[in-house]
Amino acid sequence: MKIICLVKYVPNVEDIKYDYEENVLIRDNVKLILNPDDAAAVAYSLKAKEVNPDLSIEVLTMGPKSVRPFVEDLLRRNVNKATIISDPAFAGSDTYATSKILASYLKEKEYDCILTGSKSLDGDTAHVPAQLGELLSLNQMSNIISIDQDSFNEKSAIIEVESGDKTLTYRMSFPAILSFRKETGYELPYIKYENMSLDVSDKLNFISNEELQLDEDMIGLKGSLTRVANTYNKNFKEKNKIVVKNDDQGIDYVYSFLKKKGFV
Amino acid sequence: MSVIEKEQEVVENLVDLLSEEQVNTNNEDLYEASVDRYKKYAFARNALDVPQPVAIVYPNSSDEVSKLLQFCNEERINVIPRSGDTSTEGGLENWKDITVIIDAENLNRIVDIDTYNMQATVQAGVPLEELEDELREKGFTTGHSPQSKPVAKMGGLVATRSIGQLSTLYGGIEDMVIGLECVFPDGHISKIKNVPRRAGGPDIRHIAIGNEGTLCYITEVTVKIFKHYPENNKFYGYLTEDIETGIKVLREVMVNGYRPSVARAYSEEDAKQHFYHFSKDKCVLILMAEGPENIVEATGEAVEEAVDKFSDGIIEEVDSELIENWFNNLNWSQQDIEDEYEGMKENDSHAGFTTEISADWGTIPIIYNNVMERIKNEFPRAHELTLLGGHSSHSYINGTNLYFVYNYEINCAPEDELRVYHHPIHKIIVEETLKHGGSMCHHHGIGKYRSQWTKEEHGSAYYMLEKLKEVFDPNGIMNYGSIYPKEDGIKKYIKKEE
Ligand SMILES: Cc1cc2nc3c(=O)[nH]c(=O)nc-3n(C[C@H](O)[C@H](O)[C@H](O)COP(=O)(O)OP(=O)(O)OC[C@H]3O[C@@H](n4cnc5c(N)ncnc54)[C@H](O)[C@@H]3O)c2cc1C
Repeated sequence: MKIICLVKYVPNVEDIKYDYEENVLIRDNVKLILNPDDAAAVAYSLKAKEVNPDLSIEVLTMGPKSVRPFVEDLLRRNVNKATIISDPAFAGSDTYATSKILASYLKEKEYDCILTGSKSLDGDTAHVPAQLGELLSLNQMSNIISIDQDSFNEKSAIIEVESGDKTLTYRMSFPAILSFRKETGYELPYIKYENMSLDVSDKLNFISNEELQLDEDMIGLKGSLTRVANTYNKNFKEKNKIVVKNDDQGIDYVYSFLKKKGFV
Repeated sequence: MSVIEKEQEVVENLVDLLSEEQVNTNNEDLYEASVDRYKKYAFARNALDVPQPVAIVYPNSSDEVSKLLQFCNEERINVIPRSGDTSTEGGLENWKDITVIIDAENLNRIVDIDTYNMQATVQAGVPLEELEDELREKGFTTGHSPQSKPVAKMGGLVATRSIGQLSTLYGGIEDMVIGLECVFPDGHISKIKNVPRRAGGPDIRHIAIGNEGTLCYITEVTVKIFKHYPENNKFYGYLTEDIETGIKVLREVMVNGYRPSVARAYSEEDAKQHFYHFSKDKCVLILMAEGPENIVEATGEAVEEAVDKFSDGIIEEVDSELIENWFNNLNWSQQDIEDEYEGMKENDSHAGFTTEISADWGTIPIIYNNVMERIKNEFPRAHELTLLGGHSSHSYINGTNLYFVYNYEINCAPEDELRVYHHPIHKIIVEETLKHGGSMCHHHGIGKYRSQWTKEEHGSAYYMLEKLKEVFDPNGIMNYGSIYPKEDGIKKYIKKEE
């Protein structure tokens, strides 16, 4: 059985600062992290591989070459193969162009299913899995919160999906795209000590537009049909900063503040 | 005799020597006593690899310490002295199958506070904070204020050559100890008398101060006390372009002959974790003047002059109230330590690690920059670093210390965390420091982890250190593996090659 895990490395939003004077987001020194929903998809795949060692997992990501050490760490966790689609020509792609680039790689591949996240921390649109489904003529399901391990095989899987305040159970026929939520609770395993610096370069593959041969009008800024009418940062007003001492007065202040806001 | 039988026999003997209540064999306590904060994460995750001690014993007097040591010496039983249990470099970690922890808990008496002769005598198990509180009520202070003040105890503080945050004025513990009492493995009790100064041969206090439980057990210490003038305290804070500017200001103040009590320069990364509410992602410089009013005034002026001299690198002054607030809340209580343990149980993370070194003024920036460069380029897990920076917090006429701080995402099993993350970073810091003639251990001691480099640290003078061990602890029963390198332990418990 073969799974392709589609993942994205995103800036850790917790590191992003807001410059109140210029009203811009400060992205300096922001660390990349594996998008939490996508991490759940990889974690599930590795768990399934534990039960079924013949299962093969390929991780596919599109992004800058600097994601390499993070991708290598997935290979060190027992992922079989990884592909990084990276080319300056792809920079600025909207979700539609991104889906086309990913689809052009995926359409040549064989797999039983594609596992990915439901949405990314940074874009938050949840477009890509659905668009890929469309482009590859695959069924796609978002917001998966668990997969019944026993039912997971080449043909189908029984999945639980969060839908509003309900949890729905489906059987999905494969091939299909299954999009996870980080709330699944599936966690990436530790990297074994002896594998911490393992050379995994032979399992890592870089793909650029030289291989994909996509028309320049289809990709990057040019190929992005999304027209942004206007972008603006939500203007946050700098709150009055009040620093209180760690004494009775300070504690009273914080307590009455929380009370006023209804937290206590 | 099997190890279990031997253990039982040792416990019986200990009970005979002391009493049932003074011998603790509670399993949870023994698990806790098998390491210190160096293996804090593996401890919290139940992933320790070292043997548990056989018992923790609580002697009530120096004579009982003497009896215990004699017994262990005759039976060749490893002894680890313990006081406040805040050790950070493996000083309390156990590497032997049969080990007894001698805990100073019952040596808890403040013997004398002599405000005329400006000295206080306490037993080893008196928490520093308890002594300090008593003194403050009388208008005095020890001047010793390590961040672990609420938990650390006097015996341990002396045994590790600890230093407090006001050291630039009051000095390290070695400048404060007037006399002490200690017990050697053969049971001999030595009392070093309390005099202002003498030329009676080498200063033998220094055999006990900083011995980390490898030569003798400290039972009692007499320290200097100082008049306390908290009402005169003045705080100064600045944002600086780089840590070098901060260090230059510190040097200027010091070499001009002034002694601020707090004198600290932070890198921007380190500043961010302590002063997120005002640091604006810049480096931070902090000074505090204390003492009699005219000295505070003069010190304050000297600080301002030094800041003026390097004004090119100074971005802005910080409201002194913010610095005062920080100062009033910077110590770690037992609760803080326990909260960190709780956090480590639930998350694959901890509050970070530190490595403290020292060197002369000219060398410190070189070490800092080389270390930063090498970690970023050579550390294989650099992409997982969540914090890398440092600060200088103890200054002297000829140089200063550097406290490197670092933290990372942990993506390996708890038992591998040190090998994967802390060790490679620490190794770079130690290598760069020793290469440039600095000291790899400014104030946390050598413990077990840094014993790999003790010989390099001391060079040809290691001869003197080695002879002390041969004479005072010929059977090697005192804190096996601390300070004095032991290849088997280093391989098994640090490098995990077995
Ligand atoms: C949160 C935190 C903050 C810290 N801040 C500072 C700081 O600002 N400055 C600083 O210098 N250190 C600091 N430390 C390190 C630590 O607090 C010091 O090393 C302290 O001196 C240890 O004292 P203790 O009583 O806890 O000793 P323990 O941890 O019990 O023992 C430390 C070492 O001394 C030996 N020892 C203990 N008692 C005796 C004795 N009676 N006779 C002979 N040997 C003995 C032990 O075998 C061990 O090797 C900090 C630690 C923590 C956890």
